Amino acid sequence: MASSCWGLPEFLCSAPEMSGSAMRAMRRTIDTGFKDWVRGVSPWIDAAMAPLQRFLNALESAFVSTPWIVVFAVLLVLTWFAGRSWKITLGAGIALIAIGWFGLWGDTMVTLSMVTVCTLVAIVIGLPIGILASRSERAQRVIMPLLDVMQTLPSFVYLIPVVVIFGIGKVPGMIAVVIYAMPPMIRLTNLGIRLVDREAVEAADAFGSSERQKLWNVQLPLSLPTLMTGVNQTIMMALSMVVVASMVGVGGLGRNVLQAINNQFFTVGFLNGFALVAIAITFDRATQAYGKRLQRHTEVSDE
Amino acid sequence: MTKLVYASLLAIAPAAMALPAMAQDNDQCGTVSIAEMNWASAGVAAWVDKIVLEEGYGCNVDLVTGDTMPTFASMNERGQPDIAPEIWANAVKDPLEAALAEGRLIEASKILEDGGVEGWWIPRYVAEAHPEITSVEEALKHPDLFPAPENPARGGVYGCPSGWSCQITTQNLFHALDAEGKGFDLVDTGSAAGLDGSIANAYEREAGWLGYYWAPTAILGRYDMVQLPFEVPVDEAEFLRCTTIPDCPDPKVTSYPVADVYTIVTKNLAETNPVVMGYLGQRTWKNDVVNAILAWQTENQATNEDAAWHFLETFPEIWGGWLSDDVRARVADAI
Repeated sequence: MASSCWGLPEFLCSAPEMSGSAMRAMRRTIDTGFKDWVRGVSPWIDAAMAPLQRFLNALESAFVSTPWIVVFAVLLVLTWFAGRSWKITLGAGIALIAIGWFGLWGDTMVTLSMVTVCTLVAIVIGLPIGILASRSERAQRVIMPLLDVMQTLPSFVYLIPVVVIFGIGKVPGMIAVVIYAMPPMIRLTNLGIRLVDREAVEAADAFGSSERQKLWNVQLPLSLPTLMTGVNQTIMMALSMVVVASMVGVGGLGRNVLQAINNQFFTVGFLNGFALVAIAITFDRATQAYGKRLQRHTEVSDE
Repeated sequence: MTKLVYASLLAIAPAAMALPAMAQDNDQCGTVSIAEMNWASAGVAAWVDKIVLEEGYGCNVDLVTGDTMPTFASMNERGQPDIAPEIWANAVKDPLEAALAEGRLIEASKILEDGGVEGWWIPRYVAEAHPEITSVEEALKHPDLFPAPENPARGGVYGCPSGWSCQITTQNLFHALDAEGKGFDLVDTGSAAGLDGSIANAYEREAGWLGYYWAPTAILGRYDMVQLPFEVPVDEAEFLRCTTIPDCPDPKVTSYPVADVYTIVTKNLAETNPVVMGYLGQRTWKNDVVNAILAWQTENQATNEDAAWHFLETFPEIWGGWLSDDVRARVADAI
């Protein structure tokens, strides 16, 4: 091999790195520290996680054991009220019928319950953080790099410690999905509030609104379309993460996808993949239409 | 100096462009690609092969990251990569038999001399605290000792990741043992990381754990686990008839047979590269050696490459037996 290194001296040839033994000592120290810490906190964590685990189990069984026609009707009604569009509602109906027809109803319900919980958690946590970031430059400077890390860190990097701490199942799966799905909610909340027309805020000031009134009655309503895009993105991210969540023992469509990947079952993979896509598109169109409707209420338009 | 660079580039270029399909001289090796599988023993084996072939035989080895099914499919359909050092025959039983019969793939050697060991395991601290648990059937009498992760009221048997062949065998044995009636749930661990994580999680809190695992593996080198025997011996015919078949209606209890683990190569490599085939035909190691290497690897959090070098340093008598004198000397020089 050509190891001439452009005629540079030896010490410029390869990037400086710490010695192998020092590296191993470092890894071992960090790992042992982590293990000892887990040993210390595990009873406390178990106690804290038990109610969450029970709630997730209950919700999943509610989705799965409710007769399909009831779930079907509820989902269509929700789609209709969100979008107020016959097209979207009809599309959702056809998608759900097809999912049932191909024998994926149960798995889809498991996935839906997971996505529902994760989306709600991401919104409940993400919205206040987004509001905080929009009101304080310093908070924004701290939060934004954190969001970059959450969105780019390979999920298995934190899944391994999460599994060691919480065991396998829905709880670690939920943590992984929420970590990945929350950033768009925070980003778009922050952006939406910052983009509210300055004059509207000044007018509210002129009428003597308190900070709280300004936030609830001016900034949030005016930024609703952006917020809805945040919700929509969070749902999408949550759906795309369910396959990874299945890698730590969450059931549903993701598990079938994993099985198909491992066995090269094209048909199974595509059917389950398309079931996910169908749910995603339904959610997307419904929330987008809802966002548009909100805009129509808040803006005087002559359509 | 730059002239040197150009000269060496010119020297390398033909080697890099040489088509693998070209018949090579007997002492020429050329470029081979080896699948580096995503479990520890196979990953280390790939690196040992890479180092020996590069240092000892002057080959140029590319490692391709892989997993059993995708790698097998790629070798079978596209003839790439050339070598899969460690394929568990049970995991791809039918397609592998078909490919071997058609001559598309060739069995170069049995890499694990003892074969692979599969079974159900519990942590040693549980076995010592409950000496009455001497078999799988005994363990199933105590669902309280092995709580399921999502429902502590029931026991849990940690099964295999989705899509692995052992998922089917574990499921059938679970039904055959009527574990459900004995208060156990079969837990889908989702992935190798999930299965390993569940064992780590149990060890951190000294909790009960009962489930499927196999050797040689890093986990068994790292955590002290006890394999529970089944109370019935191996019934190979039954294992093939039903245990390995998805949704088999009438599974019976049987122990796991010893798994055959092979190095598989493509037809093209077998026909054109006698150097590599000669080496692979000699290469085989025992489970206790592999367990020792993997235990060292996890203990030191070493990479597959580090572990391969560790093996070459520590077990010269083993790899020395695979090689001719001059090749052995060249590899020894590289260490």
